[in-house]
Amino acid sequence: MPLSNVPPDDSPDLLQPELIEGLARVVAVEGELVWLEPETTTTCGGCAASGLCGATGIGTTARRLQFRRFSLINTPQLVVGERIVVGVDGRALLKASGTAYALPLLIMFGAGGVAQSSVGSDGVTMAAMVSGLAIGLLAARWGAQWLGSRGQLAPRFLRRVDCDATSQFVTLES
Amino acid sequence: MQEYILLMVGAALVNNVILARFLGLCSFMGVTTRIDTAIGMGLATTFVITVSSMGNWAVEQYLLEPYHLGYLRTVTFILVIAGAVQFTEMTVRKVSPPLFQMLGIYLPLITTNCAVLGVALLLVEGKMTFIAATVFAFASSLGYSLVMVIFAGLRERLALAEVPRLFAGPPIGFIVASLLALAFLGFSGISTS
Repeated sequence: MPLSNVPPDDSPDLLQPELIEGLARVVAVEGELVWLEPETTTTCGGCAASGLCGATGIGTTARRLQFRRFSLINTPQLVVGERIVVGVDGRALLKASGTAYALPLLIMFGAGGVAQSSVGSDGVTMAAMVSGLAIGLLAARWGAQWLGSRGQLAPRFLRRVDCDATSQFVTLES
Repeated sequence: MQEYILLMVGAALVNNVILARFLGLCSFMGVTTRIDTAIGMGLATTFVITVSSMGNWAVEQYLLEPYHLGYLRTVTFILVIAGAVQFTEMTVRKVSPPLFQMLGIYLPLITTNCAVLGVALLLVEGKMTFIAATVFAFASSLGYSLVMVIFAGLRERLALAEVPRLFAGPPIGFIVASLLALAFLGFSGISTS
């Protein structure tokens, strides 16, 4: 029976928030904190030719992974090199991507629309949209602070994984 | 106002980036396993396509066209897109590190794909004004996001369906995608009169 097939009787519990899972590797342990790096993800990572494709090299260097490091409290006694599954509420991911991407775009288009209707010049509209984008990014910062203060941006430790977890993830997804 | 609405409908539905122009197919198949991640990916791509198209319009209008450097268009646009992607990543990281870290775990932050370059080249063909070009790019990326979300929903249902072994996995995904493309073909019959 394929892994992707779920018996019809296993209906999801609607009261439980659905978690989105991601893989991360432990890179350092500092006291009660453990530092993790997410496994590299690309839009086309599932492709059979991804190992040969140059697109995966753009922006996926180790340096960039260092920037994405995050910490968790080391209650499960993790050690360096271990791979774990971290989870976050699906709605929190939507809120986060909406705050980071949709909010700046909305403010940018608002500024551009006002400039275009009042002046009508390409140069002025462009300047207004760039200003709107900057204001939108600041608004995203405040939005992220608000989300962070409610604890919605913190991933949770779910479980340890074995070496072939990535292939299992791919099997489930494909 | 009506011309912008028509432009948006045309870009998002009639000439959909994925189903009519066949651009961005790698992310279409790769990131549509869940609706949540498809929405997040769609938003990230919308941001990158819109911002990079603004930059590409300015480069085309003030540099390539006046100095007759059209033969450098593709290379220059790739450079602008790479710059826009780096700008997005750096800005999100600087502006909000927790947001950057969270999105970095669950979403591919690097959203460069052929759809981004394709939309930029279509803008040049269209000889649009700045606001029209930006609206076109935004609508194209909305169409991309819409198809991603629809396809993610279908794939979530497919995961629960009894699919013949021969078609399980990507093959049934491609069959569903082709049926979706046929459905979107219906939008080409829209009359504006």
